[in-house]
Amino acid sequence: MSDDATPVAEAESGPFRNQLFPIGVDCYPLDEEKRSFSDWYDRDLAGEFAAMHEARISLARIYVSWKLFEPQVGQYNDEAEDRLGDIIAAARAKDVRLIVAFFADDRFADMNEVPWGKKRDARTDEYLIQREIALVQRIVNRYRTETMIWAWELGNEAFCSGFASEDTLQAWATRLRDAIREVDTARAIILGVDPETLVRETGVDAGPAIGVFEYGVSHVTAGYRAYAAEGPVTHGPATYLDSFLLRSALRGLPVLADGVGVHSLDVAAAEEAAYVRMALYSSLMNGAAGVMLRRWRDMAAEKREPYFRDPFEVLVGMNDPKGRPKPVLSEVQKFARVAARLDLRRYTRAPERAAVMVPAERYEPLPSLAGLYDPRSCLQGYIAAKEAHVPVGLVREGDDLSAHMALFIPSAAKLRSETWGAIAQFVQSGGSVVLSYGGGDADPAVREIFGIEFLGDHGVRRIVSCRVAQPGLLGDLTPFDVRLDLPHYALLGNSGATVVATDATGSPLLTLNQFGQGRAVFLAAPLERAIAQSDPWAAPDQVRSLLRTVYGSVAGAAGAGPVIDCDDPSAEVALFLGETDDVVMVLNHSAEAITPTLTAERVVAAVADVRGGKAAEVGAKAFGVPLPPNGAIALRLAYA
Amino acid sequence: MAARSKAVQAAEALARAGQVGAAVAACYDALALDHRDAHTHALLAHLMLEGDFYDEAISAATLAIEIDPDCSPAYLALGLAYDRRGGMWDQSVLVWHELAEVVPDLVTAHVQLGEAFAAAAFEEEAVRSWKRALELDPKEARATYNLAISSLKREGMALALPLFRQAGELDPSQDELFFALLGVKEGLGKPIDPARVKPNRTARIGAAGLALRDEDLFAAAELVRLALDEQPDDGEALALAAYAYLKQEATNEAMACALRALTLDPELTTALYTLGVVYAKRTGLNRHAARVFIALAKRASSHALVHVLLAESLMGLQRYEQASKTYRLAVRLDPACVRARFGLAASYLTSGRHAEAQWEIRRAAYYDTKRQGLFWRLYDAYAGGGEPS
Repeated sequence: MSDDATPVAEAESGPFRNQLFPIGVDCYPLDEEKRSFSDWYDRDLAGEFAAMHEARISLARIYVSWKLFEPQVGQYNDEAEDRLGDIIAAARAKDVRLIVAFFADDRFADMNEVPWGKKRDARTDEYLIQREIALVQRIVNRYRTETMIWAWELGNEAFCSGFASEDTLQAWATRLRDAIREVDTARAIILGVDPETLVRETGVDAGPAIGVFEYGVSHVTAGYRAYAAEGPVTHGPATYLDSFLLRSALRGLPVLADGVGVHSLDVAAAEEAAYVRMALYSSLMNGAAGVMLRRWRDMAAEKREPYFRDPFEVLVGMNDPKGRPKPVLSEVQKFARVAARLDLRRYTRAPERAAVMVPAERYEPLPSLAGLYDPRSCLQGYIAAKEAHVPVGLVREGDDLSAHMALFIPSAAKLRSETWGAIAQFVQSGGSVVLSYGGGDADPAVREIFGIEFLGDHGVRRIVSCRVAQPGLLGDLTPFDVRLDLPHYALLGNSGATVVATDATGSPLLTLNQFGQGRAVFLAAPLERAIAQSDPWAAPDQVRSLLRTVYGSVAGAAGAGPVIDCDDPSAEVALFLGETDDVVMVLNHSAEAITPTLTAERVVAAVADVRGGKAAEVGAKAFGVPLPPNGAIALRLAYA
Repeated sequence: MAARSKAVQAAEALARAGQVGAAVAACYDALALDHRDAHTHALLAHLMLEGDFYDEAISAATLAIEIDPDCSPAYLALGLAYDRRGGMWDQSVLVWHELAEVVPDLVTAHVQLGEAFAAAAFEEEAVRSWKRALELDPKEARATYNLAISSLKREGMALALPLFRQAGELDPSQDELFFALLGVKEGLGKPIDPARVKPNRTARIGAAGLALRDEDLFAAAELVRLALDEQPDDGEALALAAYAYLKQEATNEAMACALRALTLDPELTTALYTLGVVYAKRTGLNRHAARVFIALAKRASSHALVHVLLAESLMGLQRYEQASKTYRLAVRLDPACVRARFGLAASYLTSGRHAEAQWEIRRAAYYDTKRQGLFWRLYDAYAGGGEPS
């Protein structure tokens, strides 16, 4: 039944690709480090596009080299323009659509280093911006009716990380966007940066600039992975990072999950394939508008002392330096076959009414440590919700909460006063909130909403203890004492809340308060931060279990729980609702084989692989789904 | 070298007290007064490293080195940040090389340099670095583990196993396990005169345990002898005797005493421990060792090292999958257990999970270097203007 275990014969008449979920790949100008900027796409792209087509890849991103196209001010290189024309023709021949990226940097091809620029900053210098506009309009004008061009893209992380402020980024992006719009009013325009990874790298929030474009992108950069989830890529937090950033980038725009792939050549081919499989399924399950894989072919790097690998993330592709396919390419093909059978006009993702709130303090610079702690805590909160199978998204502090029924606020040190008002209103009108103490003084609103008296911070603890005072009130909690460094522990007095669990000395650990129509749960310790700051790959099971039990219980009681239940925390489940039947996708986030039991709300008559094949009769609400390590499956559910 | 300002000293005090947030704020206060103070940047690098914020640590340490190229604590922080961040082995090699030259007797620099070389696929250079570390400190467990891993990659498990055993024997926490099972947290720290111990069994056994803890084997032996003279079938006394023999490498006697103790009390964890260790030391008795450690793991399941011992015997039996599971359990119980991390890495290598093996080795280095507290040693020497002691 699983993706790898049982081959499924493909129906001849099935769709070849999913038009509403394009799968693409970055096609870089240079594949060998020893090449120079003038070798821009000087290779057989027709062959590459043919191979992409065969792998069901429908999109390729190509990069315009400003340095090559405009060698002298106002003088354009005809040969480069012809080569671009050839690329587009080759793509057309193989039905591969293109994203044409301007002013992106791959750190090899010197694409933006115009020799006449005299070291002026292409991001802020008025004259250079004028030249950029001229180049963009020239190319867009030439291809504005070209159907193979899917979107125009401006910048990428490597380029945009040079902006020193939101204002300069927004000004540059808006001017270039407007310049394209003057010429081409139809095609989508993308600003190629992930707001979360950019703010981490530079402190610049690209959110407002992205808001005026048609698509957003999410992108797990090497730097962000090292910060948030450095560790094995086939289990643990790293397997959730793609969808976490995707959720973070979903700000009212469709989002492409960009740069999918591993960052380092020291990951084995099988591990790379397993990771990419998880990232692809995870993107589809979490609402991406498409995916872009990191690179078509490995960069052939120069061997040099003392070390011949290069840390730049653009190195690792789906084919080896000689063009031989790696296992990851067959994973992409398999995934494309599955995605093609999910008609996103017929099936919509089950509604998400729970969210992890990213505190505004996340944007504070040093010496505040909140900007460093909070994203990690939020990732752990997100993972806990996923492990509880709660359909969960991310909201930023200050966002409208009215679409949600449950809110998780992981280990925040402080929230704005207006946020406390919004939380009070949210809970009063029937929402449920879980807030874990993040250190410092508690806001006076805590007493009102959570029914507790804050008596101070007990400080660092080495052991987390849990004694259940009210069994069953917040799920099936079990007592434990485990070693885990806690940076803070709130000492609480009662002011109306029910103490659900305490530490070993009887000090409340977990309280529940009915406030208005809703429920407010307070965790006296920043468990999400403690997991993130200790060792997320070896965090004590008991603590993780406590967290997901509380999250799951609160979301379930608030009406924001799983639409289809699952008994294995390492399985991620996404349900796509149809009119007569549903599609469920299950993804194994562990490197071990598992057989989770799914429990639907109705009796399932039969399940069938979405790719076709014979349906298996079920006749019950619950059924098991065997999954290989890091495996995934998409099943069509027919109800009785 | 200019004296440190009061602002820097305030930041130092907070950093030493582990108050990361306050110390970072104090560092920024100090930088507002003098933004080119290498001490402050080095401190900030250390604090960022404590929070696992590697990019910030790299940035602060680089600044410190720019300001003062002799700032050895900054080199340490920079090298550790590169290693813990991953993917920056080329820079890491250069930093550790530099630090090994600035502080030639700094064993950790050679161990880290070896690991950076290994990650960069320079196996021979890596082995040379670890051997250099062992020349400086023959009891450096991580260098020995790394050599074992290297041997496993090149020559297979059969030749690597003795090195793993050798590394395990360097692990002082194994003795800690015995005393944890015995219920003795600390020794007296002064000699015990057996003649002055109360002439009853409880007092003699308790005092013998304390004497063993203080490595006073003569006093312990005398007290055990007195207890056994009174009651020859005393399992606990026999288990202590077994351990005392084990510490003197008298494995036959240790085995005999432990077996006798277990005949009297099959659930006696101290005797199980000693018997298992004796079996594990002798070639060809891995199956026996595994059985004994399984029994011990049932009775003392909360001790990470018990699972490590079991996993090591399973590795000897070539039951790598089971060993891997057992090592993982040990790591969950104690993420800082270097021995479990290296064992897990070895078990991953047997199934071709190279990236995960590399990660475990990096985590072992992470916890080992955190435990060593080297930063303050180098910082104090740097602040004092002298060589680290």
